[in-house]
Amino acid sequence: MKTFDLRVKQLLDGDLSLADLPPELRAEGEAALRLLAAVDRTPVTLSPALDARVMAVVRQHATKSPAQRAWRWLNTPRDLELRLRVRPWTVWAGALAAAAALALLLGRAAPAPVPGVQARGGTHDSVLVRFVLYAPGAHRVAVAGTFNQWDRGAALLVPAGTSGVWTTTLALPIGQHQYAFVVDGARWVSDPGAPAVDDGFGRRNSVVAVTAQGAHL
Amino acid sequence: MLLGLEGEATDAEVVRAVLAGDVERYAVLVRRYRDRFARYAARMLGSRDVAEDAVQDALVRAFDRLADCREPDKFAGWLFLILRNRCFAERRRHRREGRLSEDAAEALAAPERSDGAMERREQARELELALGQLTPEQREAFVLKHVAGMPYEEIAQLTGATVASLKMRMHRAYDRLRELMKEYR
Repeated sequence: MKTFDLRVKQLLDGDLSLADLPPELRAEGEAALRLLAAVDRTPVTLSPALDARVMAVVRQHATKSPAQRAWRWLNTPRDLELRLRVRPWTVWAGALAAAAALALLLGRAAPAPVPGVQARGGTHDSVLVRFVLYAPGAHRVAVAGTFNQWDRGAALLVPAGTSGVWTTTLALPIGQHQYAFVVDGARWVSDPGAPAVDDGFGRRNSVVAVTAQGAHL
Repeated sequence: MLLGLEGEATDAEVVRAVLAGDVERYAVLVRRYRDRFARYAARMLGSRDVAEDAVQDALVRAFDRLADCREPDKFAGWLFLILRNRCFAERRRHRREGRLSEDAAEALAAPERSDGAMERREQARELELALGQLTPEQREAFVLKHVAGMPYEEIAQLTGATVASLKMRMHRAYDRLRELMKEYR
């Protein structure tokens, strides 16, 4: 494959001008610039009816109960693409490992209390959940999540002396919640003691499930 | 604070109002961002109609997941990532179905060029077809840099990629375009 000279690429990037190129590269540079001249930069305007269509769907979704929304989320078709490159014997090894893990899980006792999040009594609709983060050197720690609209200032943790441990207790409604700690107002930290899910945009949210029996990670 | 005009409300204020139950305020964000990302979607997908569907889906999906928007003051960037995921998925689907066709380039390039300059029109069409052969990441870098006119630093902020990796993608895209476009072979 014939490639552009690096300096021509820098010309296309705007890091060099045509005059910066040695004479033997000028013709290639001019041809490359013609390529960019063909770029269509016309603004694209969408149909005026788009706003109404979006708001009609939004209104429909807003009136649905959380259970209906969850069902819609589960029931909406999505494109999933799996690319696997495996040696055939690893498939059998993986299947055996999965079977062994399943057998272990089925034979396991009830889950042990979790270190990052602990629950105790609350009202019948909510449960008191204790959040703990070890963050030595932090000046301010908050917990933000779906239960407080990810507000970084709504739930501050209190330092336990000079140990570096920060804690707070919140009454969370029964249901599943995603959250993360915010250290010094800017740094998002997922709970090392809790499972995490990808939020779909490249970041990890911790997850806690609150039931009438307590909080479960 | 009372906000009479929608122009005065920040994204964060609108997001909080919607989350508090004022669903109609979401129209402010729809109006604010519907056309801002339209060109990106159209150039990524090669068709204005497909782009319109993508923008609509992204806006609805953003509403559905608004409670997950950690930083409401960065709603625009968050919405862009939703739209970006949608565009990438759509391109992968089209590629699988072999539908990144000449029709798409025609649909985008032809109606917008009424200057009668056949040569430029042909070049634009050829470039659009060649862009369709790039990987989604390469095409995105090209669209944001050369169609939207954004500097690498801004693209890095928007997409989460480093400037070095964006430049590498872009340089590969230049070489691929050279290979694909007959004038530069």
